[in-house]
Amino acid sequence: MADVPVWAAGVCVGVRASGSRDVVYVPDNPLSHVLRSFEREFADVRLLLATREEEAFGIAAGLYLGGRKPTVMLQSSGLGNSLNAITSLLVPYQIPVLIVVSMRGDAGEWNAAQVPMGRSVPAIFEAIGIPHARVESEDEAATSVRAAGETAFATRIAHAVLLPRRVTNMTSRTAV
Amino acid sequence: MNRLDATHVIVALAGDAPVVASLGHPAYDLFAAGDRPQNLYTWGSMGLASSIGLGLALARPDLRVFVLDGDGSLLMNLGSLATIGLLRPANLTLVVMDNEEYATTGGQQTPTAHGADLEAAARALAIANAATARTEAELRQAVERGMERGAPQMIVAKVAESAPTAKPPLDCVFIKQRFMTAIGNPESATVGRAIW
Repeated sequence: MADVPVWAAGVCVGVRASGSRDVVYVPDNPLSHVLRSFEREFADVRLLLATREEEAFGIAAGLYLGGRKPTVMLQSSGLGNSLNAITSLLVPYQIPVLIVVSMRGDAGEWNAAQVPMGRSVPAIFEAIGIPHARVESEDEAATSVRAAGETAFATRIAHAVLLPRRVTNMTSRTAV
Repeated sequence: MNRLDATHVIVALAGDAPVVASLGHPAYDLFAAGDRPQNLYTWGSMGLASSIGLGLALARPDLRVFVLDGDGSLLMNLGSLATIGLLRPANLTLVVMDNEEYATTGGQQTPTAHGADLEAAARALAIANAATARTEAELRQAVERGMERGAPQMIVAKVAESAPTAKPPLDCVFIKQRFMTAIGNPESATVGRAIW
């Protein structure tokens, strides 16, 4: 059983502390640590795999309509797949979702195909009116994710947290 | 059977249960069949009606959740069938109003007019509880039988296009808040609280 990095454990703590018990996700490499931590430490959080990020937001909207506080976890590339769901469902219906984004295309990227979308993520969130906070160090993950979720569910406006590669890289300290 | 006929069948079967409708004509017909607070009309997010219904079914296993989708809309989010087949909520009834055209945008043919078989797609993606209905009696029977099987069901209702005669309320927040209250989990911001 591989160790869980501090940032990944922090994401789990933050999600749970915000009141969310449902995480809809499309996996990526860094998020695999978060998924492992959820499975190991937080058995009361339901993990729901979607085939595409847009679909994940649809499922999350349904969960909210049924009284839950949903989280969507995705890689930054998946934001492109999600824009119609966010702008024509979440925003007009005021359906709050805690959005956890594993960043690609920022410092440390090796794949040019990840760069245009990844680097545009903050500007895109600005353009569509979704608040977004970037986790600057692995120790901030829990408080940043918790604050984003609490704000989203209180204000009924989705709130994103960006996890830069600098934080999610494999040389991170481990929590356990 | 036209789409409004099929919609009347589903609404009658639903009773007080929630019905989620895809944008455009499916939502218009759901409203025309009789507005009710348990109707969740979508005004955008084409393709996501089945996903919204899936999330709702997972959140509220005590409720039967009906979804009125369109063939063009479902084809935009076919992966949803695989996710429903994976998560298998027993309380989800997905009805695809298959008129073989994008009726809301002017009647352009969809692939189901040329052999694409959505029931077969559902079966292939692990929704075994799938059927196709061509008459109101078949539709009623298919839903009733499928609901007894303890697994998510998908029914393709082969329908003729019927020009909608009404449009649902436009205010999305109103639709949401009325819906959440009606199904018994009012949005917390709509409920006052004692300070102490």
